[in-house]
Amino acid sequence: MYILIAAAVTIPIWILFNVFDQLIFFEPIWIFYLPKDAITGFILTTIVSILLEILVSMNIYAIGHSRLKIRRKSLFSGSSLSIISGVCSSCSSVGFLLISTFGSIGVITTNLLTIYQIPLRIISVAILIFALYYMHKRIVQSCVMDLRKDYM
Amino acid sequence: MMNNGNILQGQNRMRAKLLSTLVVMTGLIFGILLFSPNILSLNHSTSAMAQTNDSIGSSPFSLSNLIEQGSPYLGNLTAPITIIDFSDFQCHLCARHVKNTEPLINETYIQTGKIALVFKHLPNRGFDSMGAHLAAQCANEQGKFWQFYKVLYENQKGIDSGWVNKDNLKMLSSQIPELEVKQFNTCFEAQRHKEFIGNDVKLANSQGFFDTPSFIIVNSIDGSNLEIIRGAQPFPAFQSVIEKKLDELKN
Repeated sequence: MYILIAAAVTIPIWILFNVFDQLIFFEPIWIFYLPKDAITGFILTTIVSILLEILVSMNIYAIGHSRLKIRRKSLFSGSSLSIISGVCSSCSSVGFLLISTFGSIGVITTNLLTIYQIPLRIISVAILIFALYYMHKRIVQSCVMDLRKDYM
Repeated sequence: MMNNGNILQGQNRMRAKLLSTLVVMTGLIFGILLFSPNILSLNHSTSAMAQTNDSIGSSPFSLSNLIEQGSPYLGNLTAPITIIDFSDFQCHLCARHVKNTEPLINETYIQTGKIALVFKHLPNRGFDSMGAHLAAQCANEQGKFWQFYKVLYENQKGIDSGWVNKDNLKMLSSQIPELEVKQFNTCFEAQRHKEFIGNDVKLANSQGFFDTPSFIIVNSIDGSNLEIIRGAQPFPAFQSVIEKKLDELKN
């Protein structure tokens, strides 16, 4: 079940990242394309997708097996950072929407997100690694029996 | 027992929260996918085609009209198919297209006389983009557009990092052999082609193009049979459309 959940999370997110990075196209033909200038971004987004997959599976496991709380803050800050940097890194309509809606501030925001796309993705990876470490610690700790508590 | 009940209640609440989180995430992903420019291209393509078919004869996309307007072009005037390229010199995906895909299109189709390539200005990536496009159109006055275009993409740096400010544009123009610097500077300082570029932007927007690079592929003679390619797609994507059009023209 966890593998299925992991796949259900990873595949759409991985596709989403690559659509925004203009590495996957559906029209006029379905094609995946990895030019040299996109390799670093592609590796980072693949890492983010995999980390996100592990984190979601761990959260589901934790909720199913213990009283642990889901670490939504880390989960969302990591993934949303990646998505935002991915969206704005491309010369996409979303970037244009930001520009047309927010004028000069939109231009500056889009440009900053484009310029710092790789550092932003590295930050996402770091946040997700921290979330994974934290989740792992909580799961392992929950296995230690607390003899002082009365579970009956 | 009370404790167990509380635990179960807590777990149920967590499950509900998790489920709602997953539903929101999935909705968000599919929502974004649905509204992404690549997915929507089919709808745009259809509406654009209807628009163009209505106005055959006075189509803004026939090769003769495009050249008459003053748009820079590459290739043979008798080429049966035209690719209209809407790009911004500051857009890194446009540079990706110029470095990876365009040389293959040039070698396979432009050099063989099957395709003509027309450039349309769509400066929307930053404050400095307009200047770069004005300069490029000034270079076009002297028949040096494609040399300047190459120099700009080869020297592309971060958006609005100053690489296409006034001074740098003049410096970059000096790299083009036989370009009359005085004539170029006069044209550039007077912003002679501002209206022309504005019309290109209007044309792009009328077709639903806000992102770069975007391409329209048409029959050269009347600008009909319009197909749209969005984004820096690889050569096989262009090849599939071009080959289909060439086959249609043969039949």
